[in-house]
Amino acid sequence: MPNLRPFVWHYGRQIGTLLGLIVLSTVLWILSPHFLTVSNLINVAQQTAINAVIAAGMTYVIITAGIDLSVGSVLALSGVVLGSALRAGIPLPMAILVALVVGFSCGLVNGLLITRGGLPPFIATLGMMSVARGAALMYTGGRPISGFSESFRVLAIEEFLHIPSPVWIMLAVYLLGHLVLTRTKLGRYAYAIGGNEQAALLSGVNTKWYKTLVYGLSGMLSGLAAVILTARLNSAQPIAGIMYELDAIAATVIGGTSLMGGEGRVVGTLVGALIMGVLRNGLNLLGVSSFLQQIVIGSVIIVAVLIDMALKRQK
Amino acid sequence: MKLRSFVLLLSLIVPILFHSACQRGVQREGAGPEVALVLKTLNNPFYVDMEKGAREAAQKLRIRLVVQAPDREVDVEKQMQIVENLIQRRVAAICLAPCGSREIVPVIAKANRERIPVLILDTRVDAEILRQAGGSVTTFIGSDNFEGGRIAGEFIVKTIGGKGQVAILEGIPGHETSDERTRGFRKALSGSPGIEIVASQTANWERDQGFNVFQNILQSHAKVQALFACNDLMALGALEAVAAAGKTGAIRVVGFDFLADGREAIRSGAMDASIAQHPYDIGRLAVENAHRAIKGEPVPREIPVPVELITRTNVSESAGGTP
Repeated sequence: MPNLRPFVWHYGRQIGTLLGLIVLSTVLWILSPHFLTVSNLINVAQQTAINAVIAAGMTYVIITAGIDLSVGSVLALSGVVLGSALRAGIPLPMAILVALVVGFSCGLVNGLLITRGGLPPFIATLGMMSVARGAALMYTGGRPISGFSESFRVLAIEEFLHIPSPVWIMLAVYLLGHLVLTRTKLGRYAYAIGGNEQAALLSGVNTKWYKTLVYGLSGMLSGLAAVILTARLNSAQPIAGIMYELDAIAATVIGGTSLMGGEGRVVGTLVGALIMGVLRNGLNLLGVSSFLQQIVIGSVIIVAVLIDMALKRQK
Repeated sequence: MKLRSFVLLLSLIVPILFHSACQRGVQREGAGPEVALVLKTLNNPFYVDMEKGAREAAQKLRIRLVVQAPDREVDVEKQMQIVENLIQRRVAAICLAPCGSREIVPVIAKANRERIPVLILDTRVDAEILRQAGGSVTTFIGSDNFEGGRIAGEFIVKTIGGKGQVAILEGIPGHETSDERTRGFRKALSGSPGIEIVASQTANWERDQGFNVFQNILQSHAKVQALFACNDLMALGALEAVAAAGKTGAIRVVGFDFLADGREAIRSGAMDASIAQHPYDIGRLAVENAHRAIKGEPVPREIPVPVELITRTNVSESAGGTP
């Protein structure tokens, strides 16, 4: 029998989250005959994709002990820029690139305000949240942009091996996100900055540069989420993504990333996002009242953090 | 330690899920077909009333009714998720008040593919985009918003004597409901060259935004004589702005929806009129026609629900007034 101990030690907190997902799914499977079907599971994965992609960036930010409240607004801004680029007849790959660049730039501005301007991340990204939303509204005059070619819509509905493309995009983001976090300087330094920024700085890490880059990454992933959302709705809405930051933070926290920084894993966040997706789906399948759903989701977030804190005390 | 945390998590979730499963069991005794009612939100009395009408009709027809709505009216993506999930639940019909006329189209097409009839309530879907997506809807049940805007406009033309400055508070831009009401209103005013629309801005259907936006409008256009707000919430917010400016009674304010608060404002004379819709009837007709569609009986393509001008003269006799 292979020795599982190092693996368990390494991913202890994430395994806990995964077990949570399995238990939740089992309960839903018992309660609803419609839950455990292939089409429903694909449905859940697809619904999770947008939040999961944003939450991957959020995980990096939170690992550096920061926060990014601007993701929802940046998503809206990237989305409407993408929408107008498509309407202007710019080729699809270029238009997507533009959306990513818009997201990345907003993120860089966040990062610069934090590292060069000395603003707390909460304030810098709160400001960006309002600025990007306002820019999206101004850019469109408040109206949604729609009427794209079918080739764009394909991004949301095209299936490869029976799995729709948003799910593939999500998986690719997490694979890359995991590799970058565990195998590259950017990843290792993110932990170092979140663990003890002063110590990281003194050991020669260019903390300002890497922090800025992390916010840029978060913005870029918001841009990518905008591509998926716009394709899914077949419309780019300047009011899209309101409160998405909270869903992304919730997925990250449920996934075991500490808001104090220095620890966390993207795979945990993926499971966290799936827990939220499964929960919403299950509550719909069971016909639970919309109000009760909010209570359940809020409670799960609180319980997840309580568990996290209890575990830390025991360490 | 991990075990304890799971017990904690489970002790929270399991009772809630079982509770709802049990509720479902109780409803199942009716054993009729299951109809889903997906609203824009449940924190607007208008949709709460619609739900009430639907529930009572469902009880009469022995239909099991599932009611769901996103937390926020603008969150069309969440609404899509709800519809997708209800398709998975294999409901027999879906009555849907769309959060976005265009954005919601893909899931309508999805329901069509599963042969689930979709009845659209309150806000029309974009016919052209629906056609492109290869989707179809069974019927549209809703108020005639254009007509409502038009009678609101006629009322204002009459009360200000055919000349003066007028402002409009629009709902969320690009929403068919707001666009139709505004269009109807402008149409009514087009015959009176003495009337000038000096401002037409959105307050996103919200009360506090109605206050802020109209306060700003009053700053730049002090001579505004009348306001048409595309819903009562914005009108009520605007009334506060009118009061703050010390102009109560000097500006004619007309809302839309005839909410309970709107009714009080009309009684007290602060507000001049509102256009009453009958959301209870929309909900009732939705379930009745879903029942017909499930049984394969013909359903009319359009089911208009009349609107009504409520002013001080008829406010007491009108039983309506969404609570």
